[in-house]
Amino acid sequence: MNKIIKIAHRDFIATVKTKTFLFALLITPILVGGILFLSTRLQKNTFSGPRPDKKVAIICPLVELSDELDVIFKNHNDNHSERKVLNKIYLTDNENTENPAETLKSEVRDGTLDACLIVEGDVLTGNGRVNLYTKNITDFEFFGTVRNLFTEAVFNCRYRQNNLSPELIAKLRRHVPMERIDLNAETGKKKNEIVMLMVPFFFLFLMFFGIVATNQGLLMSVIEEKNSRVIEILLSAVTPFQLMAGKILGQSAVGLTIVGIYGLTAYITAAARGMGYLLNAEIVIYFITYYILGFLLISSIFAAIGAACNTINEAKSLMTPLMMFFILPMVAWFYIAQKPDDIFPVVMSFIPPMTPIVMILRLAVRPDLPVWQIAGSIVLLVVSIPVVMWAASKVFRTGILMYGKQPGLKELLRWVRSN
Amino acid sequence: MLMHNDALVIENVCKHFNGIRAVNNLSARLPSGCIYGFLGPNGAGKTTTIRMIMNIIQPDSGSITIFGNSSIEKAKNNIGYMPEERGLYRKMTVRSIISYIGAIKNMKRTELSQAVPHWLGELGLQDWADKKVEDLSRGMQQKLQFVATVINDPTLLILDEPFSGLDPINLDLLKGIMLKMRENGKTVVFSTHMMEHAEKLCDFILLINKGEKVIDGPLDQIRANFTSNVVSIELEGDTGFIGKLPIVKDTKKVGKRLEITLDEKTDHQELLHNLIGKSRIRAFEVKSPSLHEIFIQMVGEKK
Repeated sequence: MNKIIKIAHRDFIATVKTKTFLFALLITPILVGGILFLSTRLQKNTFSGPRPDKKVAIICPLVELSDELDVIFKNHNDNHSERKVLNKIYLTDNENTENPAETLKSEVRDGTLDACLIVEGDVLTGNGRVNLYTKNITDFEFFGTVRNLFTEAVFNCRYRQNNLSPELIAKLRRHVPMERIDLNAETGKKKNEIVMLMVPFFFLFLMFFGIVATNQGLLMSVIEEKNSRVIEILLSAVTPFQLMAGKILGQSAVGLTIVGIYGLTAYITAAARGMGYLLNAEIVIYFITYYILGFLLISSIFAAIGAACNTINEAKSLMTPLMMFFILPMVAWFYIAQKPDDIFPVVMSFIPPMTPIVMILRLAVRPDLPVWQIAGSIVLLVVSIPVVMWAASKVFRTGILMYGKQPGLKELLRWVRSN
Repeated sequence: MLMHNDALVIENVCKHFNGIRAVNNLSARLPSGCIYGFLGPNGAGKTTTIRMIMNIIQPDSGSITIFGNSSIEKAKNNIGYMPEERGLYRKMTVRSIISYIGAIKNMKRTELSQAVPHWLGELGLQDWADKKVEDLSRGMQQKLQFVATVINDPTLLILDEPFSGLDPINLDLLKGIMLKMRENGKTVVFSTHMMEHAEKLCDFILLINKGEKVIDGPLDQIRANFTSNVVSIELEGDTGFIGKLPIVKDTKKVGKRLEITLDEKTDHQELLHNLIGKSRIRAFEVKSPSLHEIFIQMVGEKK
């Protein structure tokens, strides 16, 4: 045991002292934070910040509608001086007026106009149709505005035709204020829906990063040791199992350091904004339990892969199938977070390499998962760890001294069976 | 640690790699307190044998006993092993790598604080203690590797091809340390394919070829059993007649002397008889066989 700890200690120091470690430690929060900041900022700009005026031409055969459109657009522009939609209406209420459709379409094409709206038939009765011609198909905010303004004008016309006052209707359809308030939150505090989803995602990310990224560190460290031919000297002092166990322990300490720093940073940030309640002791205990079990399970597999390969590239081909187990819950995270009790999330919770990642996500969303699932998944991990470690240590023992050709899966299984 | 008469006992050890026989039915006893050489050409099975001793690979059959123990694991803290494939953590400093190797051999901090400077000094590396391994020259890395091997003051030292890549000065330095360790009662086992190294150092040798033992035992005894058929003589006057003698296979002039290779069945005394009366004899010496010659002779006989 003493030797295992010495190996772990060296590995921990050797990993933590590198510049790459420091870089990786800092770059991830910066990257994640940066993306979050930029995306919310950009979103804000797209939907509420100032933007250049837009120009839209409308061809309308209905006098009533065209008058209403004028009012509606004017209202809008008065209220949104920084996000104006300048409109020009061509009334085509009699056969003799020239229809400028083709000219306007070409103006949209050359960019003089941002959009051209052509009303055909009597849209007020529901028999006509409206086409919106545009060049840029992704400017959703602008099209949304045009559609809303146009629909409002049509509705207002219809109200009037039925002797209803649009003002009265608007008054009757006033906004109903409704807010979701989480009982866990401090009394009276509103809970932001995005924040609600961020918490499970944060735990998911922390688990994924803590297990997968640090285990890649383990894999590289094994390969490096193999390449530097230091292995045989180490094996003259310790058994292969001690070496593997020491390295796993050292790297798990590295992982815990990273996860601890991230977790603490996130908690302090949340607490500073009065959202410290998002993190409770229960979820933290679950996290630590699943993290340690998951790390032990997966790290021995990574150590074995590292031992069997000579280069990072060789290792990648063996890792790809394994990575699927971690990528799948990441890809399906939104679905799992929405429906943590569906059959798929439950099944995934009982596929060992996925268990920690899926379970922590589900627990973060629904802390009151059935006890049998929590207990069962923990027992499953506890039982699989010695089996996987036993097989991995056999592969490690044989692989660590093999140089040259990369072994296939068949060869690896032969190593497991050998003594 | 309990001293045992035999440092190592190898019994009927076999090892195959993918159907290729690396070591076949090898047995040997290595007495403690001596320098023991594993000799043989490249690919003879020396490294495989050493790795089996170190329990780095396991024999297919047979057993290896170290100081009376069937498992090396208990003895590992008292063994120094220098593998043929050398390497150390490149990013660590000289001092920290040596301390680390010592620590995983269960050395205490206080022991290390004495042993590390002592051995670095012994090998002339004291000025490099705080440099990184990757900053050292190849020769220095070799010496550092040796320090890593002996840092725990091992009772048994196992060196796989220790002399390869060393310059003559460091070669003598290393040999000196090996001899000193024997004087202190340690056992030194090393492998080499260069017979001349073994000749000057070894008390015992094991000669292997193609995974099988050719001969083993005390070097002096082996030498004694091999009478050479080479005689070196110095005569006065004409020596031309010697080459024409039927018992003489070959003659070679070496300085003043003449080296005569006799017919294999012939006794040296017969040559002496032939010389007496024909010429004045100044020197007559039966050359003792070199290990190289013994090896050639033994391997040749087997064929």
